[in-house]
Amino acid sequence: MSRTDLDDLTLEATASSPAVEARAAQGLLRIRGEAYPENAFAFFSPVLAWTEAFLAKGPAPLRVELELTYLNTSSIKSMMDLMDLLQEAFDGGRDVGLAWFYDPENDRALDLAEEFREDLTLPFDIVPRAAEGLP
Amino acid sequence: MNDLHDIRRTLASNGILMCFNGPFRHGLIEELGRAVRRHLECEAVSKPALADVFTVFIEAAQNVANYANRPCWDEPTRARVQNGILVIGRQDDRYVIRCGNLIHPEDGQALLARLDELATLDRAALKARFKAQVHAAPTGDGAGLGLIRMARTASGPLAYAVVPFDGDLHFFSLTVTL
Repeated sequence: MSRTDLDDLTLEATASSPAVEARAAQGLLRIRGEAYPENAFAFFSPVLAWTEAFLAKGPAPLRVELELTYLNTSSIKSMMDLMDLLQEAFDGGRDVGLAWFYDPENDRALDLAEEFREDLTLPFDIVPRAAEGLP
Repeated sequence: MNDLHDIRRTLASNGILMCFNGPFRHGLIEELGRAVRRHLECEAVSKPALADVFTVFIEAAQNVANYANRPCWDEPTRARVQNGILVIGRQDDRYVIRCGNLIHPEDGQALLARLDELATLDRAALKARFKAQVHAAPTGDGAGLGLIRMARTASGPLAYAVVPFDGDLHFFSLTVTL
């Protein structure tokens, strides 16, 4: 099975869960919005499964873009699981990178991003971007 | 029952801006969360302060909802433990979030032990504990992380108590001052 056989994943944002766009052909995973779903594990399971499948299918680079205005603790756990997958791939020589967008007026969001980054060595950009159009 | 006006006066004299008393279900937490945000935005609260209130609000409310969702309850007990109270107030220029709900006495004791232990940790130790537990928690289980996060968000120690309510259940209350 070739890499392009991996289905894209699209989830619409709700009040408490982010929009997800996973594009196999572009090697792009984008998660954007609020993250305090009732069951973060259930919500993020397909995202983690997609990422694992993408990384298993071939050598193509993967770029992950996160723009999360709020994460509850269960979602933080799920993001940590996602980053562990990416770090493992990076350690194995894969071209993977992460960009974390945050609202520059909210330094709590910056603190959280930096806390994630300090345990990782993969390319991890923390980028200020004013939140707009989020639910 | 007190006159509604008395209840309102009691809330106001305690500096309470918002109060919810009832069943904590996910859909309702979303709605309340939106209301909390909108209220604070109207008050022109800074974004970090708003983020702190929202963080504690969500963790506290989801703790009650998750506790009620445990499979161990019979339905009448579930309905009782799902009923919580959450208030957001101002005291001495600080936001204070207080929440309370009924819990099983054994869970109450475990919770007190956990909170007593967290109270001994400084900020660096709380951060280390949070990170260790994020890694150690089985995927899908955020149990205990919410308390650590609230302790990290607070400006001072958490205040908490467990008091007997009736023969079966105790009442747990938590106060987080930002």
